[in-house]
Amino acid sequence: MNTATGPQTGVTLYSFTNEWLTRQFDLDSLLREVARRGLGPNIEVIGFQSFREFPDVSDEFAAQFRDLVAELGLNPVSCAINSDRFLKPGQQPIDDAALVEYHKRQLRSAKKMGFSLVRYQFALPVELLPQIAPYAEELDVKMGVEVHAPMWAGHPAVQAYGEMYDKLDTPYLGWIPDFGGTASRIPESMLHAARKAGAAESLLDKLKEVWLEDGMSHEKAGRLREWALANGHAPLHIQAASLAFFILANHDPRSWASMVDRTVHIHGKFYGVGEDLVEEAIDYDTILPLFKQGGFTGTMVSEWEGHAYDTRDAFVQVERHQAMARRIWGD
Amino acid sequence: MLPVERVIGEEGLRAVDGDLVLACRLPWYRSLPFSTVEFASLAIDGQPVDLAQAQVEFDGNRWPMGDNGEKVDTFWFVRDSAFLILPGVALAPGSEHEVALTINVNPPYIPGMKRMNPQVESLRVEG
Repeated sequence: MNTATGPQTGVTLYSFTNEWLTRQFDLDSLLREVARRGLGPNIEVIGFQSFREFPDVSDEFAAQFRDLVAELGLNPVSCAINSDRFLKPGQQPIDDAALVEYHKRQLRSAKKMGFSLVRYQFALPVELLPQIAPYAEELDVKMGVEVHAPMWAGHPAVQAYGEMYDKLDTPYLGWIPDFGGTASRIPESMLHAARKAGAAESLLDKLKEVWLEDGMSHEKAGRLREWALANGHAPLHIQAASLAFFILANHDPRSWASMVDRTVHIHGKFYGVGEDLVEEAIDYDTILPLFKQGGFTGTMVSEWEGHAYDTRDAFVQVERHQAMARRIWGD
Repeated sequence: MLPVERVIGEEGLRAVDGDLVLACRLPWYRSLPFSTVEFASLAIDGQPVDLAQAQVEFDGNRWPMGDNGEKVDTFWFVRDSAFLILPGVALAPGSEHEVALTINVNPPYIPGMKRMNPQVESLRVEG
């Protein structure tokens, strides 16, 4: 039972994607490493990244997982599930009944493994929520939709979900803010990776300029591409530079204030925290107090996404990110 | 591909009973159903390999590569290799070859996105 009086910290295993894909750890040894370094106790796991049996885990595997996290003193807070509608590329999405069942399968697995909430995605058409929410209530598992760049508080999809949340009026549905939607700048480490991939300074200057302009991410990426091709930049360099459009947006960090009440969990997205305990692109000093002042007592899991372009030690990054959160929130 | 992603698996290339077996990795951060993955092209020493008879082996099961599109509920666990079986492709154990493999990924929650992932590596055939 959560008797916390303030926000909690934790980690998503997604931060260790590099270490996972290169087989430096299996699930057992990764959880042990997280526990040994004191990065928990709260953890998030992406079902389709870490569980071989997902979306339908067996009773036996679920029991093993529960025993392991209990032994390690970890708290399985969030299981990230996916709204996979397009199972046959180029064809129609799967029908609504199949998509609803796909969510229920993942909810059942999350429950079996002891998670108290699931992260779900806007790819789920909002009108299907009334068919899924009662099942989450029955299982006693909360569902948080991830508000990930280019989404933010003011996005039409967020507003449509908010209206459905008002209508269904249940504490089992909420938001999972992901701070990548309110980045103040493109991380220097990301620009550096593009530079290393051969991107010229003129291309990166243009990227920084276009990234701050209005418009949808794919439009802005198209704008940069058009300019870059006309100015002789190589497609590979343009691709390296364009990553920023797809994982980061520059909306107002204070905009999260309107979502605090229904926030059930947080993705503490980050790219690089220095020894000064400051994130290079996301203004945590503005964002985190909003959640503490708003009475949020759930968990922010540290989510290092620098692995999309960088092979730095993820464990060190997560340690610093959590230290940063403690600096801002107080112990 | 992301810095650590690869499509040629760590287990490499093996000759087994007159077939060639190539280890493959899924170039994505999470498991995906095989229906969203395409073994787009393979060339050995610069020569394209006809994949019409190829089979896929994963987790103890084997099926014709042509059936991949229907495998909506068979998930390729992202940490594991799948194996491409090439019947009748004979390469001498111990010999070394340049293998060029491209795997396309169509993430099932991002309509219209197709990412092409090419990789070239020099591999020694294990016996």
